[in-house]
Amino acid sequence: MQAMSHAAKKPVAIIGAGLAGLTAAAQLRRNGVPFVLFEAGPKIAGLATTFNDGDGFSYDFGAHFITNRLAAAIGVSAECRTVRHYGETVFAGDRTYSYPLGLMGVPRFVLSAIAARASAAAERRPPQSAAEWFRRRYGKAMADEVAIPLIEAWSGARADELSPAVGASIPGSIGNTVLLKLAGRLTRRAVACGYSREMPETPNVWHVYPHGGVGLLCQRLAAGLDDAIRLDSPVEVIITDGGRAVAVRAGGREQEVSAVVSTAPCHLMAKLVQGSDALQPLARFRYRPMVFVNMRFTGRGLLPDVVTWTPGKQFPFFRLTETPLSMPWLAPEGKTLITADIGCAVGDEIWTMPEEQLGELCVEHLQPLIRDARQRYLGCRVLRTTIAYPVFLREYEADRQRFERSTGVEGLYSVGRNGEFAHIFMEDVFWRTTGKMRQLMQGLSA
Amino acid sequence: MERYLPRAMTLTAISRIGETVRDDPVATASLNLAPVPCCICETDDAEPVGVGEDFEYQTSPDTFLAMRCRSCGLVYLSPRPAVADLDRIYPEHYHAFQFTAEHYGFVYQVRRRLEARRVLSWCRHLDDDARIIDVGCGDGFHLGLLREFGRPTWQLEGVDNSRRAVDTATRSGLRVHQGSVESLDLPPASYDMALLIQTIEHVGDPPAVLAAVRRLLKPGGRVVIVTDNTDSLDFKLFKGRHWGGYHFPRHWNLFNARTLGALARKVDLEVESLTTAMSPVNWVYSIRNTLVDLGFPLWLSNRFSLESPVSLAVFTGFDLLHQLAGRGALLRAILRRPAAAAQ
Repeated sequence: MQAMSHAAKKPVAIIGAGLAGLTAAAQLRRNGVPFVLFEAGPKIAGLATTFNDGDGFSYDFGAHFITNRLAAAIGVSAECRTVRHYGETVFAGDRTYSYPLGLMGVPRFVLSAIAARASAAAERRPPQSAAEWFRRRYGKAMADEVAIPLIEAWSGARADELSPAVGASIPGSIGNTVLLKLAGRLTRRAVACGYSREMPETPNVWHVYPHGGVGLLCQRLAAGLDDAIRLDSPVEVIITDGGRAVAVRAGGREQEVSAVVSTAPCHLMAKLVQGSDALQPLARFRYRPMVFVNMRFTGRGLLPDVVTWTPGKQFPFFRLTETPLSMPWLAPEGKTLITADIGCAVGDEIWTMPEEQLGELCVEHLQPLIRDARQRYLGCRVLRTTIAYPVFLREYEADRQRFERSTGVEGLYSVGRNGEFAHIFMEDVFWRTTGKMRQLMQGLSA
Repeated sequence: MERYLPRAMTLTAISRIGETVRDDPVATASLNLAPVPCCICETDDAEPVGVGEDFEYQTSPDTFLAMRCRSCGLVYLSPRPAVADLDRIYPEHYHAFQFTAEHYGFVYQVRRRLEARRVLSWCRHLDDDARIIDVGCGDGFHLGLLREFGRPTWQLEGVDNSRRAVDTATRSGLRVHQGSVESLDLPPASYDMALLIQTIEHVGDPPAVLAAVRRLLKPGGRVVIVTDNTDSLDFKLFKGRHWGGYHFPRHWNLFNARTLGALARKVDLEVESLTTAMSPVNWVYSIRNTLVDLGFPLWLSNRFSLESPVSLAVFTGFDLLHQLAGRGALLRAILRRPAAAAQ
């Protein structure tokens, strides 16, 4: 297409060889746009990596669910298995409720939701915080007992300090959710619900999982790009001139560029940029660090469904995922894997807690859900990340919305889950990145 | 995993829905797939509208995406198979290679009469010495009709990529060139009429094909394009996955009146008429694909195919109603090479 017109130009610098960086790279290559992909680590794939231990268990950085649509777009569908079941429950009080139908059967929740909707209709003022958003949308009972405790454990901030935009990360209408769940039952496929923002959720889009793990997506995207990928090459500086990204420095060497595509967490990207203070507000943006405790157990089906939300304050974790209920191949037969998600702060008690102790802490608190958890427990492996989820604080909401529109530096594009500072999923990362690369190419040819 | 499989599903059917049946190397080998831009706008600003598999022939375990161009509305397969994989996606028993009375019986006879009427209506105005070329002629079905019902003095030729199809057509005494119309060395400005009957959706580069066809036409010569219509109720209802017109992964570009008009303008052909035509096929195959996909028993899904006169008859009537409203399942364009055009 535009191959020749870009051939003589300076390359685009891509920072980070995860799903977003490689999606960008593959698209630029297809369009004949020269680029250099700088990856700080020794290998590609970033967060989209699966770890396999010697005992037949596989772990992702949190449970990754991709869709058949994403697999088809990347061309790896034939190497994916269909996920047959996915479901969520909430453990509230001392029992579990399926989501969303089970919760809809609790009169207290329903009455309070109806009352909230009725009064919200008369309310002209938009909600000022996440707490207000949830109370208006779900009613006080469900907001206070389920949604707000979960959002606080997830974000590490009080719900009245969070922006109402947090609500946008919750799956669409109840009606659509019920429809998709029914379609999943009928087709015996884990129809995706709440896993795609960019493209419509339909009964034809369900979860799949690649053989050997999610890293396959990146391997496929990276095929044929070796000549332009620089591993162990952290970018030290993004140099701007007159409000435009003009060069990057990596390994002490400066490289002139036509544009920069960054997948770095945006507060880190802000620190890389030299010569412009347009990104200063991003330095305040906060990500929630998270510890994923992957516990191995004998037996399977120990939890009521794949995901169990635990809003109760007594729990150190807010979410439990028994991935083998969806993807039996992630654990050996007769055994299972439960991942506990614990929000924390870097350096706090949880973050610094040794692996075995974290396992013990989780097993102890699993007792109300799995009575014989201790007898079944086989050990754990812990994954930690400083940047699991973006935290939408009200104090920088205006800056976040500005950043959503543009980085403020011409020729600088921030992509990917961390780069966009958005609660988006793998398929969203793909479509959003391809959209931004189209903008980039239009900018280059303008 | 077994507990999830409907009883009626065969091993082939399992491989079709993306499961892994590693003991069947043909069905499980992935195709080489690569993303492509919109052939009209030459950009890749598109959104996925359909996700599906090769429900009909199960030639690969891949999942395919039908993308819709945000700019012009063209629906196209992307990523799509490499040309080197054409032999795989068009198996030996592909229907267009053997649409014969022995295989299709009553349906063959009816279709033959209906199609003969249609083809003759486009060619009626042609002179006795007219030269007609059918691009993507398959086994020569339409050329055969022209030979049987048209004027005996017409010079009839065909073009098809498939060796097998060309052999069949040649055996029946037709003059058919094997290859693509862009690469064959056919005489320019020599033909009065070109037919692209359910061909344009199969080709990789419709503008290139149509430009090549235009070069073959005499000034004032016409080309008739018949193709699936994406501005139809069957598309609207089944576009998410099961629409028969996708024919995954063999239909690479799918048009509506707007995009077909844009294609014509792109290669400097005048639109003489752009209408829809009735066809039951996409209705029947949309239902069949749904049944196959959901694991319904074969005795039921087989009631919906080119070999089932009842379902074809029912949906002929049904689509006739849509055709009366100008929304038939097929599009038919008559395009003309401008009379005063440069070569």
